[in-house]
Amino acid sequence: MRIALIGNQNSGKTTLFNTLTGSNQKIGNWPGVTIEQKVGYIDNGKHEIIDLPGIYSLSPYTLEESISRAFLLQEKIDLIINIIDATQLERSLYLTTQLLELNIDMIICLNMADTFVKKGISIHKELLSQKLNTSIIEISALKKTGIQKLIQCINNKDYLKYKPLKIFNPNIEKTIQYLEDKISEPNKRFLSIKLLESDPIIEHTIDVSSLTKPLEKVYGYDFETIIASGRYAFIEKIKKESFVRIHHGDKLTESLDKLFLNKFLAIPIFGLVMFLIYYLSVGVVGTLTVDFVDGTISRFSSFMFDFLKDLGAHDFSASLVSDGIIAGVGSVLNFVPQLIILFILISALEGSGYMTRIAFFLDRLFKKFGLSGKSLIPFIIGSGCSVPGIMATRTIESQDERRISIMLTPFIPCSAKLPIIALFAGFFFPNNSGFVSFSLYMFSIVVILISALIMKTVFFKGQPSSYITELPNYRVPNFRYVFRDVYERVKEFISRAGTIILLSSVIIWFLSSYSFRLEYGVDVNESMLSYIGRGFAYLFYPMLGDLSWAASVSALQGLVAKEQVVSSLAVIGGLSAEITEGNIILNAPIYQFFTPQSAYAFMVFNLFSAPCFAAIGAMHKELGSRRKTWIAILFQTGLAYGLATLIFQLGTFIGGVL
Amino acid sequence: MTETTTTLDKVKLNQSAKVIGLNSTKKEIKRRLLDMGLTPGVIVHIKKIAPLGDPVDISIRDYNLCIRKEDLKQIEVIIL
Repeated sequence: MRIALIGNQNSGKTTLFNTLTGSNQKIGNWPGVTIEQKVGYIDNGKHEIIDLPGIYSLSPYTLEESISRAFLLQEKIDLIINIIDATQLERSLYLTTQLLELNIDMIICLNMADTFVKKGISIHKELLSQKLNTSIIEISALKKTGIQKLIQCINNKDYLKYKPLKIFNPNIEKTIQYLEDKISEPNKRFLSIKLLESDPIIEHTIDVSSLTKPLEKVYGYDFETIIASGRYAFIEKIKKESFVRIHHGDKLTESLDKLFLNKFLAIPIFGLVMFLIYYLSVGVVGTLTVDFVDGTISRFSSFMFDFLKDLGAHDFSASLVSDGIIAGVGSVLNFVPQLIILFILISALEGSGYMTRIAFFLDRLFKKFGLSGKSLIPFIIGSGCSVPGIMATRTIESQDERRISIMLTPFIPCSAKLPIIALFAGFFFPNNSGFVSFSLYMFSIVVILISALIMKTVFFKGQPSSYITELPNYRVPNFRYVFRDVYERVKEFISRAGTIILLSSVIIWFLSSYSFRLEYGVDVNESMLSYIGRGFAYLFYPMLGDLSWAASVSALQGLVAKEQVVSSLAVIGGLSAEITEGNIILNAPIYQFFTPQSAYAFMVFNLFSAPCFAAIGAMHKELGSRRKTWIAILFQTGLAYGLATLIFQLGTFIGGVL
Repeated sequence: MTETTTTLDKVKLNQSAKVIGLNSTKKEIKRRLLDMGLTPGVIVHIKKIAPLGDPVDISIRDYNLCIRKEDLKQIEVIIL
C-alpha cells in the first residue's frame, strides 16, 4: 500500500515518520516535480510511506503546498495519514476538511495524546470520528503509544472508507454538486470547490462566474472567503460537540517568552546564544580535541609509514597511505568532535521552539534588508550544511525573498567550512580562536544583510512579502530525536571523508608527489600540482601577499567540498616537510608566508566564494534556472575575492602603521 | 449597533477584537490569512509585540500567529 503522511508544521509528523519506519528510510525523488522527499517502509516493507512537507492548506500559493497537492492529485495514493495536534484542533482540522475532498481513504492520528490530561483536554473521539466519517486513532509519536494500533489498522484495512462529506451551507453544496456533475475527472469535489474559488492552477473551460456572483452577493464576501469561513464554521460546530478544554495557555511558554522576547533582553540573549554555540564548539571543544586528535593522527600516520616500510613496501605506497590518505582524511576527521557539539546545539535550537522566536523578533530588521524573519531558519540550518539550508527556503512565500535566501544561505559558515576556520583561527589566533571564529560568523551575517539589500534593489524589484507564521510553544528538545539528527549529520560528514575527500586526497597526493615526467619523489615545489597551481597563484596574490601555489590549489578544491581545502593543505604540507609535533599543517615551511592578515583573508575567501558542488546543485534545483545559478556563483565568488583582498590589504596597511 | 470598525493594527496589546473581513489586495496574503483562520466572525487577541515593534503575535483559534503590522492593516475588525 502507498501511504501519504500529511499534517501541519510542528504536528509531530517527522517524529511519527521516524517512529513508523525505524531505519527503513531513503531519500527519493518522484517524477514530475524534482524534489527530495523522504520515503520509508512500514512493517517489513509491506507499505510504502511518503513524508510530505508540513502544510496548513492545499492552497496554490506556497511551493510546499502546491507540491503536496500535486502529489496527492497525481500520484496513486491508497491512504492518507493525517496527523493532528489536538491542542490546535481548529487549525489542524482545516487541512483535514480539504483532504476529505480527495477520493482517498484517510486515518486521522490525534498526536500527543499522552499530554491531553495535563493540558486539560478531553476529546469525544467516537463523535468526532462519526462527524468526519473518518477513523481516528490517538497516538503519541514521541512516546510511541498507539503506533501498534495504527499499523494493525492499516494492515487489516480496518478504517472507515472514503465517503463524500458535505460540510457547507445547502446553497453552496448545491452549487458544488452542480459543478461535480459536469466534471468527468476524478477528485470531482476537490476540483469543483477549487473552480469556484478561481484557483489559478486549475485549468478548466467551465465559466463559474454566473454561479459565484449571486452567492457572493448573498454572503457579502468573495468565494474564497465563503469557502474558508464555511470550513471553519463546520469545524467550530463539531469542536463544540466533541472537544473540551479546561485550561488554556502554556505557562512555561508564557514565562519563557517574557524573557526571550523581552524588549531589551531579546537581542543580547540571541547574541549570547549564538556566541555560546560557536564558542563551545570551536573554542572550548576545539582546543580540547583538535590537538589531541591531530597528534594521534600524525602519530598514526608516521607509524603506518614505518610499518609499511618494515613490510618491505616501496616509498611511494607507504607515502600514499600516510601522506595521502591518512593525512588527507585525518585532517577532516579531526573536526568531528567539534561538529558533534555544533550539531547537538543547532538541533536543540530547532527542537526547542527558540528558532521561531528569533525569526519573529528579527523579522523587522530583516524586512529592512529585503528578507523576512523566515530567512533566518535557512541561515541557521545552513550552519550545519548549506544543502538542507537551501531547501528550507521553501517555506518562504515570496519568490524574490526565497531566491535571495537561496543565494545567501551558502555565506553562512557550514560544518565543512568550520575546519578551515578552526584550523586558521586556532593557529594564528591561539588565544582568541573562539572569538575569531565568532567574528567570522557575525561578519557573514553583515555580508548577508548588505548583499540582500543590493540584490533587492538591483536584481529583484518585486513586492515586499508578508510574514505570517505560527509561534509554537516551547518544548524540551527530545533527546532521541536530537541524537538521531546528530548521528545522521555526523555519519554524512564521515562518509564524505571516506569517499570524496579520500579520492581527492589521493589525487592531490599523486599530483604533488610526481613531476610531469612521472618521476616519483620530486621536491613538492617541482611537482605537477605546483606547476598547475602557479598560474592560479597570481589570482590569489592580492589576498595572500605571496605567490603560493599550495594555498591557491587548496582554495580551488573548495568547489569539490569545503573540507577538501584543509585536506589538500595537509597533504601538500605533509609532503613538503617532515611531520613535527603539534599543529602540523600550518607549521610546514610552505605555509610560512601566512600572516594573521592573510590567514583571515584566506578564511574569508573560502567562506564566501562559490560553495561546494553539492550546494551549487541544491541552488540550481531550488532556483530552477541555470542563468540564476551562474549569477549566484559569480556574485558569491566576486564578493569573496573583493572582501578577502580588501581585508588583507587594509589589515596589512594597519598592521604596518601600528 | 453602534460599534465602529477599525483595522487590527490599531488594536492595542492585550485587547481582543472580532474580525469583520479582509481587505488585502494581494491574493496570496489574503488566502494565507484565511487559511490560518482569520475568517469573518473569529475573535483574536493581541498577545505580544516583537521587541523591535513588529511583527505582532496574535492569539487565534487556540494558537499563536505572527503577522506584520502592514498586513494587520488589511484586517477589518470591531474592538471588543
